[in-house]
Amino acid sequence: MEKIGVAEASRFLAQASMGATREQIARVQQLGYAGWINEQMAMPSSQSRWDYLVSKKLNGVESKNSEAGHDAAFWKKMLSSPDTLRQRVTLALSEILVASLSGFNASWSNFSSAAHMDLLETHAFGNYRSLLQQVSLSAPMGEYLTYRGNVKVNPTTGALPDENYAREVMQLFTIGLVQLNNDGTPKLSGGLQQETYTLDDITGLARVFTGWNYDMTGTDNNTPDYKRRPMILTASRHDTSAKNFLGSSIPAGTDGLTSLTRALDIIFAHPNVGPFIGRQLIQRLVCSNPSPAYVARVSAVFNSDNNGVKGNLAKVVSAILLDTEARSASRLSDSTFGKLREPVLRFTAWARAFKANSPTDAWAVGNTSDPGTRLGQSPGRSATVFNFFRPGYVPPNSAIANARMVAPEFQITNESTVVGYVNYMQTVVSKGVGDVKADYSALLPMADVAETLVSELNLVLVAGQLAPATTNLIKGGIDSMPKGTEAARLNRIYAALVLVLASPEFIVQK
Amino acid sequence: MQNKNGTNASRRAFLQRASALSVAGVAAPWAINVAAMAEASAATATDYKALVCVFLYGGNDYANTVTPYDASSHALYQSYRPNFAHSRAALAATALTPTVAPVDSAGFQHQYALAPNLAPLVPLFNDGKLAVMLNVGTLVQPITKLQYTNKSVRVPPKLFSHNDQQSIFQSSSPEGATSGWGGRIGDLFQASNTHSTFTCINVSNNAVFLSGNTAVQYQVSTSGSVPLAGIKNALFGSTSSSAALRTLMTQQRSHVLENEYNRIGKRSIEANEVLTSALSSTPAPKTVFPAANNLGDQLKLVARMIAAGPTLGAKRQVFFVSMGGFDTHDGMLTNHPGLMTKLGEAMAAFYAATVELGVAEKVTTFTASDFGRTMAGNADGSDHGWGSMHFVMGGAVKGKRFYGTAPIVANGGPDDVGQGRLLPTTSVDQFAATMGAWLGVSNSELLALLPNLGNYNASSRNLGFV
Repeated sequence: MEKIGVAEASRFLAQASMGATREQIARVQQLGYAGWINEQMAMPSSQSRWDYLVSKKLNGVESKNSEAGHDAAFWKKMLSSPDTLRQRVTLALSEILVASLSGFNASWSNFSSAAHMDLLETHAFGNYRSLLQQVSLSAPMGEYLTYRGNVKVNPTTGALPDENYAREVMQLFTIGLVQLNNDGTPKLSGGLQQETYTLDDITGLARVFTGWNYDMTGTDNNTPDYKRRPMILTASRHDTSAKNFLGSSIPAGTDGLTSLTRALDIIFAHPNVGPFIGRQLIQRLVCSNPSPAYVARVSAVFNSDNNGVKGNLAKVVSAILLDTEARSASRLSDSTFGKLREPVLRFTAWARAFKANSPTDAWAVGNTSDPGTRLGQSPGRSATVFNFFRPGYVPPNSAIANARMVAPEFQITNESTVVGYVNYMQTVVSKGVGDVKADYSALLPMADVAETLVSELNLVLVAGQLAPATTNLIKGGIDSMPKGTEAARLNRIYAALVLVLASPEFIVQK
Repeated sequence: MQNKNGTNASRRAFLQRASALSVAGVAAPWAINVAAMAEASAATATDYKALVCVFLYGGNDYANTVTPYDASSHALYQSYRPNFAHSRAALAATALTPTVAPVDSAGFQHQYALAPNLAPLVPLFNDGKLAVMLNVGTLVQPITKLQYTNKSVRVPPKLFSHNDQQSIFQSSSPEGATSGWGGRIGDLFQASNTHSTFTCINVSNNAVFLSGNTAVQYQVSTSGSVPLAGIKNALFGSTSSSAALRTLMTQQRSHVLENEYNRIGKRSIEANEVLTSALSSTPAPKTVFPAANNLGDQLKLVARMIAAGPTLGAKRQVFFVSMGGFDTHDGMLTNHPGLMTKLGEAMAAFYAATVELGVAEKVTTFTASDFGRTMAGNADGSDHGWGSMHFVMGGAVKGKRFYGTAPIVANGGPDDVGQGRLLPTTSVDQFAATMGAWLGVSNSELLALLPNLGNYNASSRNLGFV
């Protein structure tokens, strides 16, 4: 096997991790791509977000209506958990199977959010069908998409089952709105796209998600424990009439759990699931506009692993990262390849590269949602179930639109965020945020020589992709700065970091 | 890579339009007309007018916003949502007394009341500054219930889907649309503004509504444009590094994604220099906006921008503000009243600010949303619907009136497609055309910028509310 170069390893880590480090670059070179993936997948999970909140004693009744610890629990994992591939995939899944802090009930919303994210992490290399089952039974999702406590048709009041989950589980979590080919392109009939379901399908499926509620056995709501127990069924509240949807029928009289399981089986059997989920995972890890052939290769793995099993996420993730379209150096000269690096991943790239740490375990990065002063995105805080950005977002009136491309992350990109991000990072790289501060000890010996310093940042943060002109521009700036003292060296490091983090080559991951 | 923004010379703007079209290659038919007609319109805009879209994300519940109030309709309304209906007593103070009673297709005269928490809007209605648009929604062409049932008439794609219906309301196309009707209005008028960048202004999150074929959505935060710290002051003491930063963020790039990002960066940095100066030299309106109300914060910034309009040389502007949280599948009683309070207080304050600025007749504000919701509820909320009720506010509005046809309150009745999901009797295109005409868009231009408007009789394209 030909040895993997440092820049190639760094590029791989931009797709497969929360951010490259010198250590991980060496590890990829040592193990090879597949070996590194296997090592990562075999790693144990670090402390869960839930357990972090408990360790901070936030499960006491006095904290019941507090969000305290939520952001810290999320950031700690993203910035420091050694299973960096699992964290990246968990983030990707959390942008498909979305739930967010603002949409949970006020009581223990931080624990709801932690439980949801922990569940995604548990199944990140598991099976998508199992994940779907667990998510559908989870109290946080029951709250977020409002089917917890959902009633059957009430002939007296005329109340109908809440349709929210029935709709979004199909539109967002599994099959999408239009029939797809295996390569992710829409199936056309007479030139027109074919919708996957109708209003009647929603009404039929909504009957499935009735009768589910918290499992309060032996507990009350003064501890958060019920938020991570699967919901339980109250049989009398479940709609036992026949449920017709997607051309299938669950017979009248079927019990609630069987109904839910069969319903998810029916949805999961839809040929859209592979291309619909596979393409989005490619978009989260590698590029916004994968070729149909790339999507088809990933869909094929999604549809059937070596053992003929559908939904094996470990195999899907491997297929995405090892695909020639992800790995081939030729894509670097394609002016349409890659993806806008989403703001939280720009932040984690800096933090991971320079070992940002929280000496007090407070991880006090906080809520970074403000677009004018922070990142315009904050983990676990999407405004709606439609994520921070949509997989099909097209920046209007742009060359991207003219090229018939999509660019999801541009949905949260505007005149405020482009500047707000750079302003925020200028403070962060120099002062840290909260108690989270970087360790620049490895950079200090390089700082007096601009070329050495910029070259190091280029490798770790940009996979060596800075254009020579960009390198010269940055080097010119740093060369103008004083050197020779530690304070001067730190200023050179801060300025070089801001410039690299603001460079278009970093902003767009390729 | 062309850079299409940051110009104000009309000749250049025209060339850019032509250029944009040639790049698009596959431009929709209306785009060509828009570009061809742009210059004539631009020349005529010498006064000031602004249109403000207040988008209610999530699909606002029409029935708890503009609530049936006459005894028989209210009784039905209450029967369809027994757990979360406003009582008649609670509605008495916000019952509307229009100059003309709204009538349904069967000739029945309806009475309506605003949500109790919309009380701040009642005086505006009574003063004739607020009108209510009944049962407006996304449509391709007029449609009857029978045609809907028989699928004999085209309907918008992806009905009841949030993101797609948001997009269709804003642009006439589902998610992936590349221009909206607010932006297409901007195409027509941006050459008459000194700074074309300040034509389509978004104080919220990105919305296709404000992007035209050439007009570009310009986003500002509620405190104005965001200055780049690293060039405002030398970057860690280095002016040379500041210059490098500016270049990195604004230079043209050959990579398509990089170039689009820098196009935004360039616009941001250049516009900030103009806007910060204009805003700081213009006294802010004294009108008190509601505290802890993000929509109010957004509208306050709109008011500040309108105040700075003469300094900026603005003649026609389209603004976009929004609030979220309207997807009330549950908790209607706990959540919706608070949303109405914020909406009502923010809109009333904004109107007061336009009066203070002496531009009340020059500013028209309207609400929009993904869709309406079901009349027949689930246990404690309502589900995705279609047609809805919206407000139009401003000194030029012919208010104290309802426009459109009152829907018959029913579940599976003549005006709904089940569960009280209203089959729209007025299209968003008619709603938009009426406001476009007020701004000075000609009839032929309206047909170009609203692709489905031609499916309506010429006499019904302008609803006459402004």
